[in-house]
Amino acid sequence: MNWFLWRQHRKNFLVIGILLALYTALVIPTGLHFWHTYQHALTACAQNPADPNCSEPQLGLFQSSTDQLLFHLLPVTILFLPIVLGIFWGAPLLAREYAEGTNGLVWTQGTSRHKWLTVKLTWVLVATAVFIGVFAALMTWWSNTPNTLNMDRFNDVFFSSQGILPVAYALFAVTSGIMFGAWFKKTMVAAGVTLGLFIALALIAVPNFVRPHYMAPVTVVAQMGPAAVDSKIPEGANWLLSRNIINQNGEVVQDIFSSAPAQCQKIIQQMQIGTSAGGNRVKAVPGGGDSIDACLNKAGWHQIATFQPSYRYWDFQRIEAGIYLALTVLAVGATYLLVLRRDA
Amino acid sequence: MQAVIQTKKLGKRYGSFWALENCDISVPEGSVSALVGPNGAGKSTLLKLLVGLKSASSGEISVLGKEPVQHADFLGDIGYLAQDIPLYKNLDATEHLKMGVNLNKRFDAEFMGKRLKDLQIPLDRPVGKLSGGQRAQVALALALAKKPKLLLLDEPVAALDPLARHDFLSSLSQAVADGGLTVVMSSHLLADLERVSDHIVVLASGRTQLCDDIETVLKEHKILIGPRKDERELGEGLTVIHETHTARQSTLLTRVVKGAKVPSDWQQHEPNIEEIILAYMGQGNEGVVR
Repeated sequence: MNWFLWRQHRKNFLVIGILLALYTALVIPTGLHFWHTYQHALTACAQNPADPNCSEPQLGLFQSSTDQLLFHLLPVTILFLPIVLGIFWGAPLLAREYAEGTNGLVWTQGTSRHKWLTVKLTWVLVATAVFIGVFAALMTWWSNTPNTLNMDRFNDVFFSSQGILPVAYALFAVTSGIMFGAWFKKTMVAAGVTLGLFIALALIAVPNFVRPHYMAPVTVVAQMGPAAVDSKIPEGANWLLSRNIINQNGEVVQDIFSSAPAQCQKIIQQMQIGTSAGGNRVKAVPGGGDSIDACLNKAGWHQIATFQPSYRYWDFQRIEAGIYLALTVLAVGATYLLVLRRDA
Repeated sequence: MQAVIQTKKLGKRYGSFWALENCDISVPEGSVSALVGPNGAGKSTLLKLLVGLKSASSGEISVLGKEPVQHADFLGDIGYLAQDIPLYKNLDATEHLKMGVNLNKRFDAEFMGKRLKDLQIPLDRPVGKLSGGQRAQVALALALAKKPKLLLLDEPVAALDPLARHDFLSSLSQAVADGGLTVVMSSHLLADLERVSDHIVVLASGRTQLCDDIETVLKEHKILIGPRKDERELGEGLTVIHETHTARQSTLLTRVVKGAKVPSDWQQHEPNIEEIILAYMGQGNEGVVR
């Protein structure tokens, strides 16, 4: 039945092929350009470290709006590919057969429904994994430069658009489209539910409420003072979850000046008066930042930051991919039940 | 003759509604069986149960000696044309032929190709752009190329114009004449069914009203006309199927079992098959008559 499946789905292959070609045409040249520009700047900075650009975190590169747009647009694009596949390939896959009655035709040929479904799902899922795998590989390669410059591949859309996750998303989106198609027997309904579920899960719930808890975050505590807490977070693409100032009662402080204890309020006022009078700056306390920080430290204030360290990046990729693959397996199982156990 | 289809107390329930209830039918091998009944009588449900597209809620069902299953060996012996003749609209006739080859262990591609050519069906035009009659012929050719032992047709001619209907039924008759094929075909067009079938199953309100050879049915039914009589007891072996009364006269369509005596005060007439079918179809809930 391979010819038949190819005939039914060749248009999808063609469209995805064209998308892939367009994507490659965009990703390869820009990726090479970014990488070369970056290497060039590194060499230049090695020769002339005094250049003010070299002290900038991004070496003063890629500040144009086009570059910034590309840096953000391409990762977002790949994030939407799974849902596009889910809506335009997954949802109609079975729904259209039900809607046009062709399921009655194909299920009464001399091939069992089970085999028909198995071959169809295998084809579609393997093709999805391969196609999106290529997209994801391209994106991961392309992201090398922005990752290095921004050090944020652990964050938001940059996390979701690289590594193995796009493949897991796509498998989930396509199988849930297929399942809802078999369930509701209507393409539009299936597509709508698939879209809603994917947005709710992959774009809202998981990144905000689930992902931070895959592993217990690392917590660092520091005294009050500029950069005191940042200096305790190791360098690299960490995922910073929170950074707060805690008062003597263990509560998170929103506004330092209004909630500071009485003895520190004086210093604050003094500083404010001092600065408004002009020139009469608050005296620095040796070893403890300025006098406000010293006062706050004395009062029992401190800073707390929680983060997922950069070395957990692949663990997080694996855990999240595992979740979506488990959901994929569930959707496939439900599809089998719907197709085999339910009346046509 | 052996029964290709045998059901006992077959039932199909949707929620609390029984689409088919206590349905007993028996279709002998080699027959062309007409399945008739009003809309909602359960004809499509019965055919889907026979081919395994639906599963029964109660009762027994045997098709070609097996219980219908989603299995290649079972399905390979059955040709089925669903209502509205679904085909893949964007595929052409040749591609449907290739699909048949792809999905069936036994498929006579040569037969189908020749048949489509003889019928002058455009082979390279998407079937969605063919006429209803041509589509029906493609579907029939596809079903026949499986060389099925049983062909189940769900209102195949409903949407066709008289000429296309004639052609379709001729094709069907010819296929039956080639031998080895049992056909069950549902339709509302009694005259058409009469032309091609030799066996009849009447369903009404989800129950079997009649299931027999047309020849026997014709022989065993009489229209009795006599003086007005409201009670329906006529005697041993006589069952009134349908009655109409005027002030002075009763007309009874009656089943007369072989050897039973019709009282001499009744005038006897031979009904045609259409009259008999209509009488049974109108019977509805009044119980199963076999």
